[in-house]
Parts: sequence; structure tokens; C-alpha cells
Amino acid sequence: MTGFREMLKGRLVLGVLSVATVFLFYIIVTNQPDNNPALLPPLTDIFKSFITNVTSGSLFTALGASLFRIFMGFFIGTTLALALGCLIGWYKPIEYIFDPLIEALRPIPPLAYIPIIIIWFGIEEFSRVLIITIACFMVCVVNVVAGMKNVPQVYVDAASTMGAKRFQIFRTVAIPAATPFIITGYRIALAAAWTTLVASELLAAQNGLGFLLQEGRRYFLTDQVMMIIVIIGTCAFIMDRIFRMIQARLMRWSEARE
Amino acid sequence: MSEIVVDKLTHTFGKGSPGALTVLEDIDLTFESGSFSSIVGTSGCGKSTLLKMMAGLFEPSDGQMTLDGDVIKGTSQRRGMVFQQDAVFPWMTVAKNISYGPRLRGVSREERTAIEKKWVEMVGLKGFEDRWPRELSGGMRKRVDIGRVYANDPDVLLMDEPFGALDAQTKERMQADLLQTWRQTQKTVVFVTHDLEEAIFLSDKVIVMSARPGRIRHIEEVSLPRPRTDEMRLTDEFIQIKRKLWGMLEH
Repeated sequence: MTGFREMLKGRLVLGVLSVATVFLFYIIVTNQPDNNPALLPPLTDIFKSFITNVTSGSLFTALGASLFRIFMGFFIGTTLALALGCLIGWYKPIEYIFDPLIEALRPIPPLAYIPIIIIWFGIEEFSRVLIITIACFMVCVVNVVAGMKNVPQVYVDAASTMGAKRFQIFRTVAIPAATPFIITGYRIALAAAWTTLVASELLAAQNGLGFLLQEGRRYFLTDQVMMIIVIIGTCAFIMDRIFRMIQARLMRWSEARE
Repeated sequence: MSEIVVDKLTHTFGKGSPGALTVLEDIDLTFESGSFSSIVGTSGCGKSTLLKMMAGLFEPSDGQMTLDGDVIKGTSQRRGMVFQQDAVFPWMTVAKNISYGPRLRGVSREERTAIEKKWVEMVGLKGFEDRWPRELSGGMRKRVDIGRVYANDPDVLLMDEPFGALDAQTKERMQADLLQTWRQTQKTVVFVTHDLEEAIFLSDKVIVMSARPGRIRHIEEVSLPRPRTDEMRLTDEFIQIKRKLWGMLEH
């Protein structure tokens, strides 16, 4: 009995149970005699759609296109956010220049830029990556700045009284002390990348996961829509897990590790 | 030689504004080279402010301080400071913390290893070199702090209630160990505390300050022999000094 309880406490077990319960519930609902499979396709149909799209190659093409956009937008957006965020958070004059701009632009959802970006750059790969870049940058930069501003003064003073110059303090104290915030910024940016990716592909794309979703709606392929949703969820989940592993590695020193 | 002289120092926060507050007034002090001095006083007497100014963390509004004749302006490796709060860098191991200062100046790997080895042993942390600060107790982290400042080889050590957060036993142990390190290095130490017994036990000279505004009230030369032992805390001479100074502190 105690062994079973120990197992129940396990994170993995509970996680699997949680997902399995949702699946079970879904199976029960779709097995009701009055369920309309066109609206709520059974799991078997969703799986069939997965096989069909895999064998035709369309799923991998779409996944490849989407992942490329995610990585490009995420990489460029977070890199810019890290560089600019550090400068804003550490050097007052730079903060005074950029802070009003960022505060003014921050509440604007990245998707609001889609019309103007399409007008300026057309429905191009560049436009889609740009939207994701903006989304990643905006959520990430705020966290980087917060991290730099929350560096405990006593660490700065300690380094300073040991003879560290301003830039040395920035490099050896501020950056490591801000790491927890920076990593959080990266994780939020990754989530933002996924949400903006699908939205930008729904509106303007000839391929990608968002495009497959849109196609599913147009041809009433509910099973395909469901399948893509599961794929997106799985991908985002896996990426977040990888990120947490990197985080755990970088944050070995911290008390607040997971 | 590393003598600090405080010369007619007055400090007013917000000088010139209606809410100006004078925290230190007419401070004249000399900290002889190699001496151990303590500054005591109730909270609000400006003792920490005075110490931070010696470190160069901020400047007095009037008067000046010199180290061997050079006016103190800005922080410097020559004036190391141990803070009341925990200032050990949590993202560095014990050894990396110890060698932080020398690494700033780009010492060779051999030198760095030698410094780490020496000071980890000096502060009694042998075997903990590769631990993270979070794995250490409060007292051990303070040892890292002190070792790190010593390893940086300053001329003067400024200590701002470094043992304030420790329990009584740990505190006494740390005081004895600090004295031993001080004797071996002969560096000038200025030690701020509100604990009279701590001040008397450690120092050649105890400076008593009064509050609002902070002024020098009395300077007591402590002639207890060195090396000091824990038993001395209970001698008549020790208690007499304590009684005398206790009466001068504002309660």
C-alpha cells in the first residue's frame, strides 16, 4: 500500500495519469451514440489522419516550415532582447531612451502588426519570421531588464570594493545574478513564439502547421484539425522540457531550482 | 603603512534641501597602520555610513578621508569590505568566490589555485572548496566572505557588523578566528558593531559614537594583552571597560 502511495506521489505517474484521464474522457464522449464524428472525431480518426499526413509527407513539410520560423524568430528576438535588455537594465541613459518606447509598444499584441507587415513586406517568409521575432523580443526584453534591475546592491558593492570596474561588475555579477529572470524570459518567449506562429500561419501561409489547420477547417477535416492541435501541444511541451533541463543545468547554484 | 585618517568629516543627506539630515558631524579619527579598531553606537549613529564612505561607496558632503595621505574617492582594491548582509556570490563555488578579486586582475592559474588553497584553509573551509554557497550555513558563508576579502589582499579591512546575524557560539568562534587571521596578516581593520563585548574583545581601540547627528563621544584604548582568549571576557578589567562604555551608549 505504501509503495502504491509513493508511486502516486511521483511526478511522472501523476503527469501520465492526468493526460490519460483527458484521453479517457474524450474516448467516452466520442463513443456516445449521439456523438457527431464530424464535430468531435474519435481518437482512431485523429490517429488515421496522422498516418495519412505522415505518409503523404505533408506533416513533416509543415512541421519543418513551422519549426524553422519558430527557431529563427525565437533566436533573433531573444538575442536582441538579451543584448538590449542588458544595456537598458544596466546603463541609466540607455534606459531613459528605450524605456518609454518599450512601455508604449508592450501592450500591443504582436498579431496587430500583421496587416502593416503584410502591406510593407507582403506575404513572405520574412514577414512571418518578423512577427515571431517581435513577439519573442517584447516578452523577453521585459524580463531581462527586470533581471538586471533586481541585482542585489550588496553584490555590486562587494565586487566594487574588491576593485571591479563597472563593466567587470556587469559581466561577473549582473549577468549571473540576472540569469533566473533571463531564463524565464526565454521560456515565455518560446510560448509566445508558438502562439504567434500559428496565428501568422492561419492568416498568411502556404505551408506550416497553421496552414494545415486552416486547410482542415476549409475542407471540414476535423480529425486533421485535432491532430495538428495535439502536434503543436506536444512540440511546445517537448521544447519547454528541454528548456527546463537547460535551466536546471545553468541554475545549479540556485536554491530555487526545480 | 596603511593608515586611514578621517578629517573634519560631516555628512548631510540631501544637503541644501529642506529635508536635509545631518548624520555625521565633525568626525576626526586616525586608524593606525596594522591596528584593530571598532566603532560602536546605537542604530542611527551613522557608523555604517562612515564605514561605507571609507570604502568609497559614497562621498561625504564635507571634509575628507585619506589612506596613507591619498584622498579616498571611489572604491578600490586597497579598501576591502565585509558587509552585514550575505554578499557571497551564490553562482560561484566557495573556491571561485575566494579567488574573485585576483581573477578580476587576471592572475595566472597557478597563482589562483595557490590563493584559493591558502585562504580556504585560513578561514577553515577546507573540504568545501567546490560547494555552492547555498549548501553552507550562515557562519560558513561569512567565512567565505572574509576569506574572499583577505584573498584580494587589501591594505585595510572594513567590516560592517559582519557577525550580526550569527548565533552567540558561532559569533565567539568567528571573533577568535578573525583575530588570528588579523595577527597573521597585520592589516588595518575597522570593525563596526553594536555589540560592546565584541568590540572590546577584538580591538585595540573602541570608538563610541552618539546619535543624531553622529559624533565621536569617546575613544577607549583597550590594553588587554594579546593574544586574547575567551576567558578574558570574564576578567574584571574587561567587565570594567564594558560597564564604562555601556553607560555612554544611548539606550
